[in-house]
Amino acid sequence: MTNAPIALQTSVAAAEPAAASPAKLTARDLNFFYGDFRALKDINLVVPEKRVTALIGPSGCGKSTLLRIFNKIYSIYPGQRAEGEILLDGQNLLDPKYPINRLRSKIGMVFQKPVPFPMSIYDNVAYGIGHYEKLKKAAMDERVEQALRQGALWDEVKDKLKQSALGLSGGQQQRLCIARAVALKPEVILFDEPTSALDPIATGKIEQLIAELKQQFTILIVTHNMQQAARCSDFTAFMYLGELVEHGVTQQIFTKPSKQQTEDYITGRFG
Amino acid sequence: MATEHIVKSFDAELERINGEITRMGEMALGQIQAAVDVLQRRDSKAAERVTINDDAIDELERTVSNDVLRVLALRQPMARDLREVYAALRIAADIERIGDYASNVAKRSMVLNQSAPVAPARGLPALAELASELLAEALEAYRLRDADRAAAMRDRDAELDAAYTSLFRELLTYMAEDPKQITPCTHLLFMAKNIERIGDHATNIAENTWFLVHGEAMSGDREKADKTSE
Repeated sequence: MTNAPIALQTSVAAAEPAAASPAKLTARDLNFFYGDFRALKDINLVVPEKRVTALIGPSGCGKSTLLRIFNKIYSIYPGQRAEGEILLDGQNLLDPKYPINRLRSKIGMVFQKPVPFPMSIYDNVAYGIGHYEKLKKAAMDERVEQALRQGALWDEVKDKLKQSALGLSGGQQQRLCIARAVALKPEVILFDEPTSALDPIATGKIEQLIAELKQQFTILIVTHNMQQAARCSDFTAFMYLGELVEHGVTQQIFTKPSKQQTEDYITGRFG
Repeated sequence: MATEHIVKSFDAELERINGEITRMGEMALGQIQAAVDVLQRRDSKAAERVTINDDAIDELERTVSNDVLRVLALRQPMARDLREVYAALRIAADIERIGDYASNVAKRSMVLNQSAPVAPARGLPALAELASELLAEALEAYRLRDADRAAAMRDRDAELDAAYTSLFRELLTYMAEDPKQITPCTHLLFMAKNIERIGDHATNIAENTWFLVHGEAMSGDREKADKTSE
């Protein structure tokens, strides 16, 4: 990779193959504005392929904003604009010529609050697929089952696929949303606080699922729960006041961060 | 610790562990001093008290372990905090071991008292004095979280090793000259070895202090001056 924006600290990574993974997403000199307010300042971040990268930082630090730029959700709101580049496999997503449909199919997103569509469990998953592909019933059944299995939900819902998704528990709804994202065969999945509304058991299931999904997908997760970032990510980026303060191997960040701000934040001295 | 935690009781718990380590260190230093003292005075009664006093250090080490476990379980410390409690756990174990060595020296002094005084016993207090000095220095470096001071202390362990080697040779000479000296001199050899080991554990304390401050192991192999096995 030429012109590498930020050097990952790899002293711990020497024993960890994660560092060897190529860049999937790269933010380059990224700035973001809500009207006149500059919410992100010169962000340079490499997200390695098929690894979990966690974004941490106090409220308002810009981590969710950054996540939302990766799938260009901001572009539907007036007055919001991004400058710089987001490269997905070397192609700039922020280029107006980059087809939004291709972007949506390559980058999936799971939100803090599970939002199942008010339709059956089956249709929740099939809806998105039908948008991109015309499949025969049998093929669609197969895709829905596959997605629900990847979402670790199949065994719990296989006998009630036609029932409303709104009847599922919060944790199940969140896994349904993950299955729905996975069904489109994206390359990157963005998680915005995916477990903050869930109990510890449901949270554990989502974290286990993330560990499984990283075999196939590149994952970026925003979380306020630092233990969660420590548990389930390979890399951690700490943001503060719109800046990327530190980015490195997770073990390194949580045992020996190089910046005082990171240290103070993760040890509970400010935030 | 530069700044305080948002949750104040966390600071209090770390403070408490620090206090326990400080107390353990003071007790261990006192035990080394006492062990040498009873050796010089040939006071078996007092020597027995020294061995009993070691229980208090063991007890404090268990307290440190419990407190560290509680912090790990309830606070999930990270970064510097994690290294604080990790270092505390390891340093407490080193001090506990130092206490054992001091106690061993006192115990063997009781055996020595059963026979006539031997000349080379005079070399032991100087060795213990040096070991105490190193331990005090290591504890001070830990108390101040002064990594450079810890590194300087570690380098000084070579002095203790050299003094031990010299005493070792002296004892061999005595044994070779007079077989009747073999039994007391063998005891003195073990006592000297115990004191030399105190220096090694003091060195561990210095190395853990370095790790606590910098988050990485102290680099470079330290110089070894214990040449008795060569």
